[in-house]
Amino acid sequence: MSGELAFISCVVNGVRQELHVRTEEMLIDVLRDRLALTGTKLSCDLATCGACSVLMDGKPAASCATFAWQADGADIRTIEGLTAADGTLDPVQQAFVDNSAFQCGYCTPGMIVLARTLLDRDPNPDRAAIRNWMGANICRCTGYEMIIEAVEKAASMVRADAE
Amino acid sequence: MNEISPRLKIVGADLPRKDAVPKTTGTAMYTVDVSFPGMLHAKVLRSPHAHARIVSIDASAARDMPGVHAVVTRDDLEGLNPTYGYFIKDQPVVAIDKVRYIGDTVAAIAAETELQAVAALERIIVEYALLPVVATVEEAMADTAPELFEDEPMGVVPAYGQGASGARRIGRNNCYRFSYETGDAALFDACDHVFEDRFVFSRDQHFHLEPFVSVARMDNDVIEVWTSCQNPFPLRKELARVFQYPENLIRVQVPYIGAGYGAKNNCKTEPIAILLARKSGRPVRFCMTTEEIFLTQCQHAAILDVRTGVMADGTFVARSGRIWLDSGAYSDASPLVAEKAGYRLPGPYRWQHLDIDCDCILTNTTPAGPYRGFGGTQAAWASESQIDIIARALGRDPLDLRLQNLKSLGEAYVPGESGVDSDLRAGLNLVADRIGYAGRASGDGRGMGLSIGFKDAGGVNKPAQARIRITTSGAVYLECGTVEIGQGVHTAMSQIVAELLNTELDRVRYPALNTDYTPFDQGTNASSAMVVMAQAVQQASLEAKRKVLEFAAAELDCEVQEIELDDWSIRKGNESHPLPPMIMRHYGGTGYEFTGEGFFKPAMDHAAPLETQCVSWEFGWGAAEVDVDTETGLVRLIQLVVSGDAGRAINPLVCRGQDEGSAVMGLTGALFPCMVYDGAKLMNGNGLDYRVPLSTDIPDGFVSILQEQGYGPGPFGAKSLGEGCMLPVASAIANAIEDATGVRIRELPLTPERVLAAIDQAGK
Repeated sequence: MSGELAFISCVVNGVRQELHVRTEEMLIDVLRDRLALTGTKLSCDLATCGACSVLMDGKPAASCATFAWQADGADIRTIEGLTAADGTLDPVQQAFVDNSAFQCGYCTPGMIVLARTLLDRDPNPDRAAIRNWMGANICRCTGYEMIIEAVEKAASMVRADAE
Repeated sequence: MNEISPRLKIVGADLPRKDAVPKTTGTAMYTVDVSFPGMLHAKVLRSPHAHARIVSIDASAARDMPGVHAVVTRDDLEGLNPTYGYFIKDQPVVAIDKVRYIGDTVAAIAAETELQAVAALERIIVEYALLPVVATVEEAMADTAPELFEDEPMGVVPAYGQGASGARRIGRNNCYRFSYETGDAALFDACDHVFEDRFVFSRDQHFHLEPFVSVARMDNDVIEVWTSCQNPFPLRKELARVFQYPENLIRVQVPYIGAGYGAKNNCKTEPIAILLARKSGRPVRFCMTTEEIFLTQCQHAAILDVRTGVMADGTFVARSGRIWLDSGAYSDASPLVAEKAGYRLPGPYRWQHLDIDCDCILTNTTPAGPYRGFGGTQAAWASESQIDIIARALGRDPLDLRLQNLKSLGEAYVPGESGVDSDLRAGLNLVADRIGYAGRASGDGRGMGLSIGFKDAGGVNKPAQARIRITTSGAVYLECGTVEIGQGVHTAMSQIVAELLNTELDRVRYPALNTDYTPFDQGTNASSAMVVMAQAVQQASLEAKRKVLEFAAAELDCEVQEIELDDWSIRKGNESHPLPPMIMRHYGGTGYEFTGEGFFKPAMDHAAPLETQCVSWEFGWGAAEVDVDTETGLVRLIQLVVSGDAGRAINPLVCRGQDEGSAVMGLTGALFPCMVYDGAKLMNGNGLDYRVPLSTDIPDGFVSILQEQGYGPGPFGAKSLGEGCMLPVASAIANAIEDATGVRIRELPLTPERVLAAIDQAGK
């Protein structure tokens, strides 16, 4: 069905987007090429590594394996959408900064999005829960320990904000 | 531990990385993000055959496909030097006479979309005449094996010093041999025991998440290429040779790099992107898929025969080694990796005789190239495994035997070499104590093992240049060619500058590399930044500072010794004189820039085996505890303790990340399947089938300990870091497996099948 267009309407980082997309077009291509949200990164292209993770209705989704038309009606947040309009970082972003929980940074947007979805579900995860949750994404640089510690720290920041 | 200057305020602090906000908010720019109006997308046709002669290529139908702007085959190489490589120029931009592995590049197309390019590739008709295939080192060395190269490709053997030599084409499919010899071979005869073991090393793929990618365009007569490359200046030189084009009309730009681990050296996507850009007159982006990176570069598989003579009291005497590296289809960095694997095989121990040959053997598989550890990983696997074999045969504890034979601080590695710049015993005792080695209960599937990873760091004969510019308002440019590939070098190098100029870290900016402006550098590799480039940066900073102080002293009519630079003011006793008004008074209201130049290169020294003495020795001490399921052969890692010596940690958090990241990378070669071949066909070359460690694969008992022994040659005593901790991992685990089960595994990876087979064999 290549070449057919579908009309989609979705919210991306709080902004309503209405687009015609080709039926074979992937969500990551819409985000990167048409909405200029290049923070989301393509790597394995098989929904395995998690570098392309975005929040879709609050759940982590591999944007490399999500057709653009599947985003119709969805609320999508990318790494860019986690930062407040005034530049204030999300607690997960701030914890990654404070703990230097990244190296090359290519997996980092996906890791931060993934961690965000964990904290949305469980603001008080123990280390084992974090290790297990973060096991969905690949980082080849850090050895993961500093990422896990950053998520622990982000959780404590989220809890402190809630109090 | 050494006492280190306590007056530092920025060096040694865990300051947030300079790339922290861009990388956590999605605004960091990588080559994958580079885009130009009218940019085309390249895709390449890859060989389905491991070894074949190309009879004909007909690309005419492809040229008429929708969206296609340019097609390149062997018929489009007129006017080029169409092959590239490090020492040996054997890899063609696109296949010319033959294809030599499954995935070899045959043709390339630039189209308006990647899909159009892929569709057009299918219209290229290639007729192949199949040739016999050599998939392994053993097959490639056989008397009847076909040569991958019938004629000798253009190339050179680098110069070597005392005891070292290189040679080309001395056997079938042998593209290079490195040899090192010292001492009297007859010493073997005097040894009480001689141990001979064969070790086998599998090959990992770097699996850098940002693929090989570049964007090329013509800017009038300038070839501009944006690329994810860790050695842009040698790349520029190679592109100038390939395209027969002036170096100063080639501009290489390197934004943030999504990791490389060695893979992103030299030509990858760039020649094809440039060729297509020239043909089409449009910017061309060539971004490989993950499947393609598996067909472009990998680590060297290896066979290592190690013969070691020792005395009954455990004294090491003599070691000889034969190493065969699987180079894959093209020589790439194999000669350099051979040099390092051979030179590092002795490990940091005292020997009276050494005799090592390391051969690079071409096979019809993915070309092997630089990979973190660079031959040291293969050497440490064999060397550190055999030391435990020797210890057990002599009834000695492996820790004690190592402590007995390790070199002391300052002791020359081999005749003519520099002295080791870490206390090796201190490092080994540290990891042994931390893991609880002394009180361990060995056996019943549970055991511990130790290992020391070792490499000569800082590159060989590597020059570095750096420039500091300070504006009227005190804003600092740090211009040097070390690229930010994830290791945190923008931060660490800027901390050094801020410390030396007595200013805040925020004042220092480290612009991304552009070969038009950035001072020359040989490349971001060999753990060289903190010991080679940092010395140039230090010198540039001090020169800029000296000029500022001399200027201020003249303005204030005093001696330089009377004043200090203090956050872009001049402090003279209890007076503070801001520099900006002073500068504008002298140079005019539009201001001025102070500059400082820095240069470092180790001295040529023919007494040193590699013609310059090693700048710094990098170590990774490792200790592993395993629980082996003797029913299934599954090795469960309970503890992994690693430690590197930063000399002086410029940013301890960044150092920790390097040590932990490299250790987990070492786990891949130890416990994961690595690249699995069926003959010459790679079976798991994609992101789904290829397993790299996940957070869930890391035990809670994974710990890194950062040492700062203070003996490094870099600024403030800094040493090389970032590769050491991957080197001991596989052998520490294998040694732990023997401690746990009594079974010695000599072949990587340590898969359940292999461990179980060894246990079953031992039980018979």
